Amino acid sequence: MTAAQSSTGYAETTAETKFEQAPLAHLSVELGHLYMEDFTLGFDHLVEHFGRVAPWSAAARTLTKERWGVKEPRVSTCFLIDDYFARLGDPKDIIDLVMEAADKAGLTIDYIARESGCALADGVDLGRLVSDRLVADPTPSTNGSRPPTNKTGWLCNGRRSPDAAAAPAMSFGSWEAPEQNAKNRHSIFLDVELWDGRGPERRWSLPFLAAIWQLLRLGLLRYDGRLVARPQDAGDYSDDWSELPAVMRMNPNAEPFSAYHTFSVLDSRFLEIEHATRVILSQVQIQKQIARQIESRSLGERVALPKEIVNRIEYLILNA
Amino acid sequence: MLAFGEVQTGLLQNSTALSRERALQALNFVTGESVRHSARPIAHAVSADRLDSVDCLLPTASRGHIRGVGTLASHATIVGGQVAQGSTYATILPSAENRRMPWSHYLAGHGQIETIGKYRRADLMTGLLRPDPDESTLDTSAITGRMLDTIQRSASLDRRPPLRAPRTRLRWVASLNDGATAATAPGEAFTVVTDELRTLRLTVRGEDLDAVVALCEDLALHDWLLTTLLSILDTALTSNRSRNQKTERLRPAVDHLLHLWMPAARIPEELLPVWEALERHPGFSRQWDASVARIRDQVTMSTLALLESPTD
Repeated sequence: MTAAQSSTGYAETTAETKFEQAPLAHLSVELGHLYMEDFTLGFDHLVEHFGRVAPWSAAARTLTKERWGVKEPRVSTCFLIDDYFARLGDPKDIIDLVMEAADKAGLTIDYIARESGCALADGVDLGRLVSDRLVADPTPSTNGSRPPTNKTGWLCNGRRSPDAAAAPAMSFGSWEAPEQNAKNRHSIFLDVELWDGRGPERRWSLPFLAAIWQLLRLGLLRYDGRLVARPQDAGDYSDDWSELPAVMRMNPNAEPFSAYHTFSVLDSRFLEIEHATRVILSQVQIQKQIARQIESRSLGERVALPKEIVNRIEYLILNA
Repeated sequence: MLAFGEVQTGLLQNSTALSRERALQALNFVTGESVRHSARPIAHAVSADRLDSVDCLLPTASRGHIRGVGTLASHATIVGGQVAQGSTYATILPSAENRRMPWSHYLAGHGQIETIGKYRRADLMTGLLRPDPDESTLDTSAITGRMLDTIQRSASLDRRPPLRAPRTRLRWVASLNDGATAATAPGEAFTVVTDELRTLRLTVRGEDLDAVVALCEDLALHDWLLTTLLSILDTALTSNRSRNQKTERLRPAVDHLLHLWMPAARIPEELLPVWEALERHPGFSRQWDASVARIRDQVTMSTLALLESPTD
């Protein structure tokens, strides 16, 4: 909302929040999203992984030029390590392992991020920031009479089956199907758990963290207008994962971490996760000031930018 | 562009004017999005917008069926630490593909409803102002009421208001970017429908929706102040009590309300004609000034009576 613009031009600085701008690449390429089980398989396994990813990463870079007519595309690469669900070994060992394996496959990793950093980044509660911005996909006949029921830690894309316990009149064996809101003749109904646990003990689910990860890569999150999870130079590694920055810049010459579009090469075992992530992202409200800020940047650079967040995200799903 | 909304105004449920700090606390219910506040000409703080999703029939005058899908935006405000408002707004536009799209499409907008099916604009605009919409249709009042409740139930308030003052509701529709007229015909625009419901029709040339929302909030505030003051005056002066007791009943108005009257303080110039038209008819400030004068007269008479009374 604009402060009153009188002819004397009086305005108060606290009336408007200033929104920091993130530097933006054209494309953010995710080279991997790995878990403890992947690391225990050893160095060669990692090299094999990066070898599979490498040609697609190169293709993405080339296509950025062709798709958006950009002569010198700004492309950055990133890699996500799960330190949220697993106990990992020494950070320095694992990070060095990953960097060497990528190098051997001819890939440069510009940024390494921690999965925990998607929940709590440098002191900012990103989990709450995003969960507070969920705006549910309404079922038909949602007219605002009743408050939205988003408190249960689950999110779906339609109308759930009625609860049998709540409707004892239903005879045995009768089942009313759930229904996807925007179905294409038939439903693909998805119900995803966002978190379990209570209060400060909330443990965010993988699809939810993956949604935050995409929002960070798209530069769409601010806390009171300030940037969150700003990439920091790797520096000396602490031996405690939680003391490392949420996003570490490994390559001093890297293009910006955030970008207009993201591209991720994923193992097929993540297909369900990404479907769930997409259902979540379809229900996250982006602050309009941030959306407008990025939109006007894209217009300035003549980069085509889809209005819908989910349409800025692309994947390649590969089998191992 | 067609826009509509509702503003509900009530007395903040706190015994004294809320400090700026407590007002900011009460309004700070969206993580990571600050409360906007200004101190001049009068303390004014606004929460972040919250979106409510809908997929339902929209109310029309003819009771025809139009489906609307999208979001309404609402926020809460605290003015002068004394008055609370819940304000909801949305724009309405026809769906380009005339079907229910995936939800991500609607979330790309902010407070935007897309209609599926044909309608006549006038029919919809009148329908949105109906005091008695059909039950399953869009319930703007419920959304707005919940936003105001969010503030009134805040732990930052002591819930001991200094006087009883019912909420009023202002439901509005606006035609923006409308080259037809610069301002609505005065008198027809603003209607007092019931004790608590008012409606407003606006036609503005510009496209600044935020300014229109601010205008409606300002109008709703001043209408509530006037309604409340007239009610206090009426109760006090028609009661069968001594002059002193009557004056005592006017005290809460003096302490809490009189200083809040500041019409059009935050309205951009292009919308001032709307206020000006309403000042001509029905004449808010005229009624206010007359009521304030009456209060002051009562207090003066009361003081004179005290001075004249025999002392020992």
